[in-house]
Amino acid sequence: MQQRGHRANTVARLVRLASDRFMTTLPFATSRPYTLGVELELQVLNTRDYNLTGATGDLLALLRKTAHPGDIKPELTEAMIEISTSIQSGYGGLLAELHGIRQAMVREADRLNLGIAGGGAHPFQKWHDQRIFDAPRFQHIHDLYGYLAKQFTVFGQHIHVGCENGDTAVRLAHLFSRYIPHFIALSASSPFFQGVDTFFASSRLNSVSAFPLAGHLPFVSDWAGFTEYFEHMRALHVVESMKDFYWDIRPKPEYGTIEIRVCDTPLTLERAAALATYARALARYLMEKRPIEPSQDVYRVYGYNRFLACRFGLDAEIIDPYERRKRLLAEDIGHTLTNVALFADDEDGASALLGLREVAAQRRGDSTRLREHLQQTKSLSDVVRWAAGVWMQGEQTAPGS
Amino acid sequence: MSELTFLPHFPPTFGNVVVVALILLAGLACGELFRRVLMLPRISGYAVAGLVAGPGSGGLLEVQMLEDARLLFDIALGLILFELGSRLDLQWLRRNRWLLASSIAEISLSFGLIAVVLLALRVPVLQAAIAAAIGTASGAPVLLLIIHAQRADGPLTDRAINHTALNNVFAVVAVTMLLSFLHLEYRAAAYLVVLHPLYLLLGSMLLGYLFSVFLVRFARWLGKREDLQFILLVAMVLLTVGVAKALGLSMLIALLALGVMARGRDARRDLLPVEFGATAQALFVILFVMTGAAVTLGDLATGAWVGLAYAIARMAGKLLGVLSFAQLSGLRLRKAALLGLTLTPMSAIAVVLVENTAQYYPEFGQRLAAVVMSAVLILELSAPLLTQLALRAAGETHPEAPWS
Repeated sequence: MQQRGHRANTVARLVRLASDRFMTTLPFATSRPYTLGVELELQVLNTRDYNLTGATGDLLALLRKTAHPGDIKPELTEAMIEISTSIQSGYGGLLAELHGIRQAMVREADRLNLGIAGGGAHPFQKWHDQRIFDAPRFQHIHDLYGYLAKQFTVFGQHIHVGCENGDTAVRLAHLFSRYIPHFIALSASSPFFQGVDTFFASSRLNSVSAFPLAGHLPFVSDWAGFTEYFEHMRALHVVESMKDFYWDIRPKPEYGTIEIRVCDTPLTLERAAALATYARALARYLMEKRPIEPSQDVYRVYGYNRFLACRFGLDAEIIDPYERRKRLLAEDIGHTLTNVALFADDEDGASALLGLREVAAQRRGDSTRLREHLQQTKSLSDVVRWAAGVWMQGEQTAPGS
Repeated sequence: MSELTFLPHFPPTFGNVVVVALILLAGLACGELFRRVLMLPRISGYAVAGLVAGPGSGGLLEVQMLEDARLLFDIALGLILFELGSRLDLQWLRRNRWLLASSIAEISLSFGLIAVVLLALRVPVLQAAIAAAIGTASGAPVLLLIIHAQRADGPLTDRAINHTALNNVFAVVAVTMLLSFLHLEYRAAAYLVVLHPLYLLLGSMLLGYLFSVFLVRFARWLGKREDLQFILLVAMVLLTVGVAKALGLSMLIALLALGVMARGRDARRDLLPVEFGATAQALFVILFVMTGAAVTLGDLATGAWVGLAYAIARMAGKLLGVLSFAQLSGLRLRKAALLGLTLTPMSAIAVVLVENTAQYYPEFGQRLAAVVMSAVLILELSAPLLTQLALRAAGETHPEAPWS
């Protein structure tokens, strides 16, 4: 995951030299296996009616002047802000860093009278009200994709898991594809979109699917195979860099990680850290115990399983491509969590995984809780106010939780 | 011929309804011309329509007609003042104390600079003090209308509203208190000097309090229905205006108190944010036309230069005030300058404050009007544009909102 300054540069230069002859331009940075990093896209809200507000620029200006852990960056539209952690080796350090970032953000948001919340989509924003953040890359996306760019005002969690080399990354990506419904259902927190109940647990992924380069990694067997595919796509002028692929799981060669991108941003930091811990434990389980091998069948059921998990969340019944039968997603999650419990690396991590098991067993994820809150208050604005309280003050002290 | 009794007497007498229609049409036409020809906000055009058609410049509208249409003016101003009060965010002021410091700086600097300039121009002390107190209030109608029309939202917008709310509260309270000195100057009885301002202040606040309790309870019972709550709001504004007038209280203080206290009592957020529909827009046209009609050519003839100096001093005070505490309150200097611009408008509230003093001492009111009303006119022409430009430059307006 580390970009080892000088050495990496030298390697990159050598690779570039070689590329004229061998067409390899995708060096995979080595990182310590199973290290973790998390990115969370968050909602920036006004405190009047808790709609999204384009205040990210002002918030970042204040945050630039204060010391804080991690990194805080703008995202595609002006009411989105992204936080990312440094490289972490377990649940405790990850959560502590997230708390540190939150503390700085809440302090500055208070000065500006802003709210910050998790959740995969803002329940009642109108996509055409959003403004593209003023940066060349985001303007380019808007020019290329038109209204899809503003529709993409949705909020995801990305989990990075360190891999020692490109071959491991490709293998792990294929194995993880089997478990994509787990991550969708456990994080789902976007039941409302554009002011209506979508009947989906996660409506956010539908906004991702609209992009032409969304989907999954092709079924290549190693890094050489992947590099060949990438170079071919580049020669065809479909993509310029890895960033152009909007895949659910994608290798991130410059970090030396695979990046899982299907999660909605959960309502709390604790859930976000628990999901990352699950990804890490699952990766170790899959690589060290080798319970399954990559299979093309996973991709034959992939799209449908993904839809089922988005639509029904923890109540979904998905298709197991290895056993070729239907099974309850909640049970599959519980079963897998039991298997990976050995790899939870410490007590806090183990209890975080137990917490996820509880969520699956009760089938009460964030999207269910958001719906319950709407039932009580009859107002989406109140739902967001509650979500902002939960994110900013933590679960126990937030009003009405 | 005598059987044609259905024909009216000649010339026919036109009632208030026609007056209101004429006010609307004149405002609409003039506003549109301002937008298309001069590229200025329509609001400026409304005010000029009032000036041209108003009694002060020998136009079609007579004083009596304006008084008859006054109810509409009061509802419009009432809605504005209620929204202003209800958007004053006291919790934010508590979390970010530098905001309050910035407000105090802006109020005292604009008060001080106006007073110094007026005294230098040989305006009598009491007149200068009251004019300066009136000048601390920035124009809530212009600000809120432009915010609604531009669908502006963001930290600068929030600040502009909070500053405006606080300086309006200061202005109405200060002018009320200065009434004591006015009574003294005119050698009124001692009890009048003390009791009258107290009655106005405490009575109006009590009225606002009682109605806010009722408003929040009623809104909770109605539920979160925007349409129903708007009807409730209009009713409560009318009730406040009517009762304040009947009891000789200050309509301005009562309405502001209604807004501030309703928000304070509404911890559960049963009240929805105020959204003005197209019908309310018609009321606001009337508000601005009648504000323009309150200016007379006589005021302009005697007060134009003083008014200009007044407007400049006021603007300088507001700008310096917000700039001085900008960074401490978490605002970049550029944005602070833009915030200063959003505080330049001056409008109907100044008119009502001048009227309030004139009501007790007409001759004093006339001299006050010459100074203040010239400034009001100057700022009705310039400030709406500045406000709009500032909100746009801050990037807080809706990307597709057309120019106001």
